[in-house]
Amino acid sequence: MLETINEKDVQESIWLTLWVSFAATFFFAIGAVPLAWLMARKQFPLKNVVQGIIDLPIVLPHTAAGIAILGFISRDGMLGKAADYVGLTFINKPAGIALAMAFVSLPFLINAARDGFAAVPERLEKAALTLGASHSRVFFTISLPLAWRSIITGFVMMFARGMSEFGAVVIVAYHPMTAPVLIFERFSSFGLKYARPASVFFILVALAVFIMLRLISVRKKEIRISPDAETQ
Amino acid sequence: MLKLNNISKKFGDFALTDINIHIPEGEYYVLLGRSGSGKTQLLEMIAGLNNPDSGEIWIDNKNVTKESIRQRKIGLMFQDFAIFPNMTVFGNIVYPLHCRKAGRREINHKAEQIAEELNISNLLDRFTQNLSSGELQRVALARTLITSPKLLLLDEPMASVDASLKDDIRKIFRKLNRKGLTMVHVTHDYREAVSLAKRVGVIHKGRIVQEGSPEEVFSKPANRFVARYAGIKNSFRVKFFNEHNTCKAKCDSNLVFNLSDGEYPEEGLLIIKNDSIKIHNNDPLKPNNYFLKGVVREILKSETGMEIMVDAGEIFYVNMANEDFKILQINELSEVWITFQPETFIVLKEKVSDI
Repeated sequence: MLETINEKDVQESIWLTLWVSFAATFFFAIGAVPLAWLMARKQFPLKNVVQGIIDLPIVLPHTAAGIAILGFISRDGMLGKAADYVGLTFINKPAGIALAMAFVSLPFLINAARDGFAAVPERLEKAALTLGASHSRVFFTISLPLAWRSIITGFVMMFARGMSEFGAVVIVAYHPMTAPVLIFERFSSFGLKYARPASVFFILVALAVFIMLRLISVRKKEIRISPDAETQ
Repeated sequence: MLKLNNISKKFGDFALTDINIHIPEGEYYVLLGRSGSGKTQLLEMIAGLNNPDSGEIWIDNKNVTKESIRQRKIGLMFQDFAIFPNMTVFGNIVYPLHCRKAGRREINHKAEQIAEELNISNLLDRFTQNLSSGELQRVALARTLITSPKLLLLDEPMASVDASLKDDIRKIFRKLNRKGLTMVHVTHDYREAVSLAKRVGVIHKGRIVQEGSPEEVFSKPANRFVARYAGIKNSFRVKFFNEHNTCKAKCDSNLVFNLSDGEYPEEGLLIIKNDSIKIHNNDPLKPNNYFLKGVVREILKSETGMEIMVDAGEIFYVNMANEDFKILQINELSEVWITFQPETFIVLKEKVSDI
């Protein structure tokens, strides 16, 4: 076990898994959170279709999702061509891994954030508008702070789902190896004995990260309680 | 100050139809209606949260129908106050000033001033979760007034406040109005209208059905709905006719009322105020043509005394002071006589089906 922990390959794969999943969650949240607000608050044509598309990665076999992503990001694909134009490559790169992770895990963030926004009383947003706030100010000062816990929960869920993703990632980027791919590779090449220590180490790291994130979200909850409530 | 010209708007199955209201500067206008009558939608439309399908909204001789909420300079206080739970009382109060990018000194000065005025200076640092309904209302009012709006819209402001605090709130509203603030107050409670309004508009099914001073509206209700609002429960569908040179009105139950001389339509509604009926426990000493014999069906306590339900061919509701009730010594099933003052009868030409 200690030997495995000290292995550079294992350390690098776990670090890669963590930071790419976090970066994917963070980067995609910038678009996903406003989209979640739109889904919670606005009525527009084909809204159900959009919701269906958001949920699709949950039911899709993840290898199929990987193949679909590969179609887009390969040099013949639309996104691949555009990326190639600016000198960016997705295949076998962290950017490709991030895309694969985000594609399959984004529904967790969008749906949690959508439920959070839907739970914010609409009249609070209306009140802010009548007090002279712009729509963006209402979003950042009322909707977002009140839906913050759900968004954090969605963020953690997306991060976790992205981190554990194997099917889509292995299709898009076998190398550099994320932890799930490394574990699979060790299992298929050397057997259970070699795969086990890496798996246990990855599980322990994941556990530590989630306890930390959980503590952060609990602290957020406490901040919303008034000083009077604490003394009662 | 505020003019609503031919405002119409559809909300699914419900519609506001052809609303015309003109409110001069400094007036206290109460919009009275049941829940679901469209009064809140109308208020939100004046504030700019909804746009009308047709018609115009004028504020201060300026057509603001297409203007944004911010340009209307209106304060709207919501029924449940819509206090932001993620901010302190101070944060709530100064929110509109932050929206207007006011300086720190102005923010602090105005917050202190309005907090003192509304007696909430001691609450400024507190979060809002544990405030009482009265305190929440003052915070909401302070937040609305801090930008000195020209027009204050109040959506059911008494509905979420304890009964003991209502008098204080009424005093604050009167004071604001006396200072010249134009106010539109939406409520379902006619007593609020009577105690505060200079003018009342009654809204029913998305239409303004009557408008005028509270005295006009409640002494001469335009239809059965308004009469019910004024606490009048005795309204009868009748046919008018003349017999032996006496005008009479016959109910569906064949009960006949003698009326004072005058012009009457063929059919309509006869409304008798609860207060203009008197109960006697024996034959009236000076019987006239305006009395009926009946049986007491129910005796209920009311805010002002007692409400007696008498069956005299039709059901009549009679209000009575506690002292009079004690003297009368009647119980349920007692035989009584009820007398009317026909000059207080209200006759409406409309048919019941029109209401």
